[in-house]
Amino acid sequence: MRKTCRRMIVGIAALAFAVPTIAAEAKDKVKVGFIGPLTGGTSANGLGGRNSADLAVRLRNADPKAKYEYELVVLDDECKPNVAVQVATKMAADKDIIAGATHYCSATAIATVDTYHKFGFPVIVWGAVLPDITYRNKYEEVHRVNGTMINQNDANAELISKLGYKTVAVIHDTTDYGKGHNEYFSKSLAKIGKANIVGTFGVTAEQQDFSSELTKIKALNPEVIYFGGLTPIGVRIRAQMDKLGINAVFDGTSGIVSDSYIQGLGPLAEGTLAFREGAPTEKLPGGKFFIEKYNAQKYDNPPEAYGAFAFAAMDMILDTIEKVGPDRKKVIAALADVKDRDSIVGKITFDDHGQNTVPVITKYVVQDGKFVEWDDSDYASGKRKLPGQK
Amino acid sequence: MAGRVPGHDGGDLDMDAGLLAQYIMNGLMLGMMYALVAVGFTLFFGVLDVIKFSHGDVLTVGAFAALATYVGLHAAGVNSSWLDLLIMLVLSTLAMALLGMGIARYLVMPLRSAPALNTLLITLMLGTVLRESVRLFYPQGANPKPFPALLPRASVDLGGFNLRLDNVLMLAAGVLVILGIQYLLNRTKLGLAIRAVAQDEETARTMGINFTAIVLITFAIGSGLAAFAGVMNGLYYNEINFGIGLYLGVIGFSAAIIGGLGSIYGAILGGFLFAGLQTIGTVLLPFASAYKDVFAFAVVIAIMAWRPTGLIQEKISERV
Amino acid sequence: MSASKPTTKKSRTSVWPGVIALAIATAYLIALLDAERQNLIIALLVVGIVVVIAGAWLGVLDSVSASFADHEDALGGCAIIAALAVAAFFHESHFVLLLVITVLLYSVATLGLNVQFGYAGVLNFAGASFFGIGAYTSAVLNTYTSVPHLLVLVIGGLLAALAGSLLLLPVLRTRGHYAAVVTIAFALLFKTFLEVNDVLGGPQGMQLKGMSILRWSFNDNIKIGNISLSFYMNYFVVSLLLLIGAFILVRRLERSWIGLNLDALRLDETAANCFGLNIVRWKITAFLIGNFLIGIAGALFGMVGGFVAPNNYTFADSLILVSILLLGGIGNPWGLIVATIIVVVVPEKLQTIQEYRFLLYALMVIAVLLFRPEGLLPRHVRRYFPGWRP
Repeated sequence: MRKTCRRMIVGIAALAFAVPTIAAEAKDKVKVGFIGPLTGGTSANGLGGRNSADLAVRLRNADPKAKYEYELVVLDDECKPNVAVQVATKMAADKDIIAGATHYCSATAIATVDTYHKFGFPVIVWGAVLPDITYRNKYEEVHRVNGTMINQNDANAELISKLGYKTVAVIHDTTDYGKGHNEYFSKSLAKIGKANIVGTFGVTAEQQDFSSELTKIKALNPEVIYFGGLTPIGVRIRAQMDKLGINAVFDGTSGIVSDSYIQGLGPLAEGTLAFREGAPTEKLPGGKFFIEKYNAQKYDNPPEAYGAFAFAAMDMILDTIEKVGPDRKKVIAALADVKDRDSIVGKITFDDHGQNTVPVITKYVVQDGKFVEWDDSDYASGKRKLPGQK
Repeated sequence: MAGRVPGHDGGDLDMDAGLLAQYIMNGLMLGMMYALVAVGFTLFFGVLDVIKFSHGDVLTVGAFAALATYVGLHAAGVNSSWLDLLIMLVLSTLAMALLGMGIARYLVMPLRSAPALNTLLITLMLGTVLRESVRLFYPQGANPKPFPALLPRASVDLGGFNLRLDNVLMLAAGVLVILGIQYLLNRTKLGLAIRAVAQDEETARTMGINFTAIVLITFAIGSGLAAFAGVMNGLYYNEINFGIGLYLGVIGFSAAIIGGLGSIYGAILGGFLFAGLQTIGTVLLPFASAYKDVFAFAVVIAIMAWRPTGLIQEKISERV
Repeated sequence: MSASKPTTKKSRTSVWPGVIALAIATAYLIALLDAERQNLIIALLVVGIVVVIAGAWLGVLDSVSASFADHEDALGGCAIIAALAVAAFFHESHFVLLLVITVLLYSVATLGLNVQFGYAGVLNFAGASFFGIGAYTSAVLNTYTSVPHLLVLVIGGLLAALAGSLLLLPVLRTRGHYAAVVTIAFALLFKTFLEVNDVLGGPQGMQLKGMSILRWSFNDNIKIGNISLSFYMNYFVVSLLLLIGAFILVRRLERSWIGLNLDALRLDETAANCFGLNIVRWKITAFLIGNFLIGIAGALFGMVGGFVAPNNYTFADSLILVSILLLGGIGNPWGLIVATIIVVVVPEKLQTIQEYRFLLYALMVIAVLLFRPEGLLPRHVRRYFPGWRP
């Protein structure tokens, strides 16, 4: 019996070390990765990003000058930090995947930076706005093409103060994303000094019922409710505000700039404010090109707010691999040196933390079921008025 | 002056009557929904001694069925709110009744000779199947879906309290349904049969009651209740998503347990008690609704420690 | 109910069926873990199912389980060798090793649940919560103190057991469904508590440094001569040791007078009480031992993953642990391991069903409950001594 076991060990061990040496195909195929929220409340953004990344890969594969044939590996982070860490580990642990365009949700992006660093996997973030993602550590693996939330909250505070509002209640989700928004908005508002925050409420990312927070807010009677969080709870809060008869301006961030926000609320979405870094897709330098190619592919979902950034991120990855070859270390080295690189979102420069600067902030207001730029809207010109607007 | 005004996110608000009324209203609405789910649990337990854990997810399926009906009706051009609502309620209630009967017939009854745990587990898993099926097979089921606001939206502003007509209507409808169930159970022959089966299966059979039929009917009633609760939930929040059933199911279950399984009054009491606990939690605790669930569940555990079979004692006793 | 022919002399059943079954299973597992193409994986799975059904029909499965029952120590040794062989085969693949470690640690946790439910009949629907207590303990201790990591594991187990004792009073006083509700309420309470509690990281969770024992850091890849091993090998060794320890403990427990008392307690509480067994004491013992095991597994798993978040330890995860228990056969440690492998490995490999995996688990458990409620490898009636025949 002992002998049998011993023989088994030898046999299996021999097999174990022999088999890997057999395979060794010539590698013309290169795998690149994409991670985003493909299911759940923010899936519209995730799917838009995925389609955009897919578009970049397709265009590159159709290009006869490309040195390699690319395959896109797509994983779903469900906008949950723990799932994100699992799929990030999976992608980074797979030695065949060279680099990835990752994450729309900030909560997931901040959770995975350590994972990418551990495995030496280069990533370019395409949609998450929390500054900590690039600034908390100096990881050479992590880069980002879209901007951070600091600028959009500056613009937000500025507009609110300019419109003459004096009292603001803050609702934010308790992930690092919502907390980040709360922090930067409060700072900006305090710096301008014209408006006061009368109450701050933290809510969980999956919360259904906001009657208790909103009842307390109703008692405080603010003119504006600032919301730092994503579309699913944004929709619920706005709807329940109406149910409780709260007549305040609903002021959101880039987290609610999404078609699903408008679909979820219908006419109630009217008059919502939102801010986003980056010009609207049509006004980007490569915007028309991107939209044209995107529509030609007939995807099921629109690119949404950050699709163009996902495209730019994937395109940069592909460019880099073309230049230095499918080697993670070389890609990391090449991405450390990106200055004024052309892309459809404009010139990209990574600072020493891998962060791109996006100077333009777009102010939106929902008008007639669409996100319209503030300066072009009827609210700015005075034809319509927000609640309490003077 | 720049800066934030401190301290206004917590428990030291002065409570004027309007605010109190608003809290009470919130609590009543929640309690009504929990009570409806709890009554369902209690009915199933009473009749078959089973915990049908998929009850909450039947609620979800019912809500989605109603939504699908609405979409269908609109595509067919029917636009009257009341008619829409009526048809939605009828169709989803019937559909869920059928589903409930199917569950009873194929999943629960075959397991009657197995340990009670197996039934609990099979219904837990069934709940997962229902929930995942909605998420996977309903178009874009993973996203929260807006539910049409079909009730009149008139409202009266009484100081801090916003009295809405639709809330009042829903509350009234819920009360009517519960009274209806009471009437059914206590005043009709069918109800008598159900109670007989709940008390003692063998004797009931000896008396000529068709056991299987009664069980199926009870499940149909319970599941129909779930559909009604689902539609109410959708109307209240103007949104449904595939996860509402799990949360409501667990709370309904806890409420039924607190009130004592097998007792309809207990279930209703439990439902409103749980909602009351949550509301008190939000008022007293400084972090708004953050800790309200923790508070409510902790109290449930404490109650179970104090009165193991719930507040209204089960009549069986087992002492050696 | 063993199908071995009644023996007149004291000859034991052969060890060969067990050894051969183990060898085949190991080879199959290696093939499954190694396969990448979906078609191959599906083919392998179909073959596996067919073989098992054929085996059951031909009565082969019964002789395998009889041989396991009789020669458990020897076959246990062979199983350890099999595990080492699997690890040797995949010594460089991070992700496969991570899967194997997940299987090992989930097995330990389910062994704990088994003690609670399979032996003492105490329902515990909060398994994932105790797992989480272990994980968070190791997160907090590793980040804020410098307690040696092995000790952290033990403390994790102890804390989980301690938390379990909070639930003791309600669990002891209730029976059946009521006990279930107590643990379910705790499971939900725990997750919400973690989410709203900023000290423990809130919904964002906490990052964990890797394990290190006596300055040997577990998070660096190892090089032995020409062979480079993934850093997960460190964790693999520790997990395997933990599983062996847990397995031996549980088996000895079952065979001892403690196990006898627990069985009596589970089968008929009233009768056991009549015979003078102290119900309370034994239920407490089983519950605490079970939670201790779950806690240690959780603490180690936290360090392996490097990340803990409330979303990892929800009620749904507890249900997965319970499903494993049911699928494998309540009370049978071998069945548990097989079931864990199925539940953890199959959805990871069969990517196409990744999205559907919860649905499939649930359907499988329903099927098992309807058609084979004892589980895949049911527990045999108690045997005092291996090979003993009445």
